[in-house]
Amino acid sequence: MNFDKDTNRMEDALKNALRRREAPEGFADRVLTRLAERSSATPMVLRHQPWLRLFAQPLVSWAAAAAVCAALVVGGIHYRNVQREHAEGEAAKQQLVLALRIAGSKLQLAKTRVQQVNANHTPADQTENQEEKE
Amino acid sequence: MPEPISAEKSTVVAESDFTEIVRRHQAMVYSIALHFLADPAAAEELAQDVFLQLHANLGRLKSGDHMKFWLRKVTGHRCIDFRRRRSLPQVSLDEAPESAAPTQTEDPMLSRRLRQLVASLPEKPRLIVILRYQEDMNAEDIAEVLAMPVATVKSHLQRSLAMLREKVTRAIGEVAI
Repeated sequence: MNFDKDTNRMEDALKNALRRREAPEGFADRVLTRLAERSSATPMVLRHQPWLRLFAQPLVSWAAAAAVCAALVVGGIHYRNVQREHAEGEAAKQQLVLALRIAGSKLQLAKTRVQQVNANHTPADQTENQEEKE
Repeated sequence: MPEPISAEKSTVVAESDFTEIVRRHQAMVYSIALHFLADPAAAEELAQDVFLQLHANLGRLKSGDHMKFWLRKVTGHRCIDFRRRRSLPQVSLDEAPESAAPTQTEDPMLSRRLRQLVASLPEKPRLIVILRYQEDMNAEDIAEVLAMPVATVKSHLQRSLAMLREKVTRAIGEVAI
């Protein structure tokens, strides 16, 4: 047989070689048995809520698990950011209170000094002024 | 004209209808898997999985032709996935009974050798050769089933044929010696 020259013969040989084969005896029954096993193994809630069957598919269940994980990670990061901002706000508030206290005490000190100076200088000055007039 | 299907539009298909669908298409699905995997047990397991998936998708299939297209596509993809996941031992394809009596012109030794050679092709060209010669599909239909350009299908077919021709010529020479 010369296959180099006869493409049609080669194609015929392939068609013969790759002819359909009968499925093994009882194939359809075994499919139905597996189908029955599968449907009995399906939880009642999935049978009554068809949309939940989506999650029984591996791709969808993986996607759902990935979405939950992503949501947890994003939520965790967001919570951490909020906590950090809160802590920074608290620290700033404490610093402001401290600064106000320091400023308040300085003002108090200055006021006391001014009052002391006024108390010491006022009577002598008045006497000196009266003497100059006379 | 599209081949009508009985209860496919309904999501609930009577067991007898589904049995009929399985019986109608089991030789096609099983043979694609068998010629691809060269393992009757693995081919049966895969073919059963295809029909279980079909049962879950019956409501989406619009006609008999659509079902046939869907079965070929899903079987092809499952064959490639199956082969990638498992390393199967090569078992003789001749264990499986043939659906029709061999033609008078058939040379059993040549057919056996060709099946072995086809089973040794890379995944995509193997599937293309099986769809072309088992299912008698043209390049355009194969391209649609496998979602690849027609030119790629034709190129795979040409290269596979050339390789098979060369190897089988060599093998027949060896047999003659």
